[in-house]
Amino acid sequence: MLLLSVVFFFASSGTLEVSAQKKFSRIYPASKNVRLQLTNRTGTVTVEGWDKDEINISAYLEAPAANIEPQSLSGTIYINLVKDNQGRTEVGNVNFLIKVPYSASVDIETRMGNLNVSSVRGGLVRAHISSEGDITLTNIGADNVAAENVIGDIFYDGGVQSGGNYRFTSTRGNINLRIPLNSSFKLVATAPSTRSISLGDFGNSSMKFVSDGRRVVGQNGDGSATISVTNQRGSISFIRR
Amino acid sequence: MNCEHCQELISVYLDNELEQEVSMSVQTHLAVCAPCAKMCEDFAMILDFCDLDETEHSLPPNSKALWCRINNLIETEISSELSHKVKEEPAKRSWQFSFAQVFASILGIALVSSLLTVVGIKNYSAGDVSVNTAPSLFDRALGKIGIIETPQQTRENRVKEQQSAIDYWNKRVAAKRANWAANLREAFDRNLNEIDQTVFEYNRILQENPDDDLSGEMLDSALNEKMALLREFSEL
Repeated sequence: MLLLSVVFFFASSGTLEVSAQKKFSRIYPASKNVRLQLTNRTGTVTVEGWDKDEINISAYLEAPAANIEPQSLSGTIYINLVKDNQGRTEVGNVNFLIKVPYSASVDIETRMGNLNVSSVRGGLVRAHISSEGDITLTNIGADNVAAENVIGDIFYDGGVQSGGNYRFTSTRGNINLRIPLNSSFKLVATAPSTRSISLGDFGNSSMKFVSDGRRVVGQNGDGSATISVTNQRGSISFIRR
Repeated sequence: MNCEHCQELISVYLDNELEQEVSMSVQTHLAVCAPCAKMCEDFAMILDFCDLDETEHSLPPNSKALWCRINNLIETEISSELSHKVKEEPAKRSWQFSFAQVFASILGIALVSSLLTVVGIKNYSAGDVSVNTAPSLFDRALGKIGIIETPQQTRENRVKEQQSAIDYWNKRVAAKRANWAANLREAFDRNLNEIDQTVFEYNRILQENPDDDLSGEMLDSALNEKMALLREFSEL
C-alpha cells in the first residue's frame, strides 16, 4: 500500500510538471540578413546563430501560459509578449531558445530575466533588460552592440569591428569585456562609485584615468570603433581574447 | 546613419511613416546612440502625453477670459511706451561725441561681437556629448554674466524635465502595479530602489561640489534609467 502511494505521488507530481509547462515551436524561412525583434515579459531568452537560412523558435511557457503571436514582416520576425499579453494579471515565465542565421541582426529585450546571445555576426546585437538579469553575449561579430540592465552582470566575448559602436550600461553588476588585443577603438569607461576599471592588457600610454579615477578615456590602435561602458555601482574589466 | 540624419527622421519614425529599410537604420542607430535614443524618448513622451485626455485638464478653465487679460496687458504696455516716446521727443539731443566716447563705444562693440562669435563657435562645435569636459574659466565667466547658460543651470533644467516625466510615468505605474504578479512587483521595487540610491548619491555629491560634471552626467544617466524602468513596466 505504501509503495503504491509513493508510486502514485511521483506519477502525479510528474504529470503536474508536464502540464505546468507548455511548448511553443515555429520555424520561419529567413534571408541571411533577417532581423529578430523580441520583447519578452519575464524568463530567459537564448539566441544562437546557426548555418541555416531559417529561424527556429522554441518557447517553454510556464503556467499561466502567455499568448505568443509571432509576426514575419519584411524580413523581420517580431515577437512581443508585452503587447500580446497586455492587461493580463498573471502570466508565467516564457523561456525562449531561438536559432537564427549567423548573419542575422538580433534585438531582444525583457522586463526581467537573463538574455544570452551567441555566434551572431549581423549588423546589430542589442540586449536590454528593463530590471534585473544577466546578459551574456559570446562569439559576437556584430558592428553595433548594445547591452543594458539595472541589476546583473554583463559579459561580452566577441570582436570589435572597424567603425562599430559598442555600448554597455549597468547600474549594479560586473561588466566584463573579452575582446581581441589588436582591436581598434576609442574608449570611454566610467565606474564612478567603485572606481574599479581594469584595463588588463589594454592599458597603454593613451589610456588615461580622469575625474579622480572614476573614468578611463583613451584609444587602442587607430581608434576606428567606439566603446562606451558605464557601470554606476559596479566594476568594469577588459580581458584579452 | 549619423546623428543629424537620425534626429531629422525621429518624428516620422515615431509616426511609423518611414520605409521599412530606413526605419530599420533609425532603429539600429537608436540602439547604440544614447543622445539620439534620449531625443527619441523625449519625442515619444510628448506624443504619449498629447494622446492622453489628461491634457484637457491642463487647459485654463476659461481660455476666453485669459486671452482678454493678455490683450489688455499688451495694450497697456503699448500705450505706456507711446506716451514715453511722446515725452522724449521735444528734447532734441546733440549727437556730437568726444573722442573718448567714440573709442569706448568701438571697443565695447568689438568686445561684445567677439564674445558672441566665441559663444557661437562653441555652441556649433559642441557635438560630442559622450566625453564630458569640464567648462573652461572663460565659459564660467560667460555663465556668471549671463551670456551663456551655466552647466549647473543646464543640469537643473534637465533634471526638472526628467522629474516631470518621472512623475507622469509614476502615475501610470501606480495605476497598473496592482495587476502585476508578486515577483514582478518585488523585482520592480528592488531595481527602482537601486536607481533611487544612485540618484541620491549623485545629488549628495553635487550638493557638495556643484562643479562635478561627471556626477552631473551620471545623475542624468540614472534619471534616464529610472524613466525607462517606469515606462517599460507601465506597459505591462
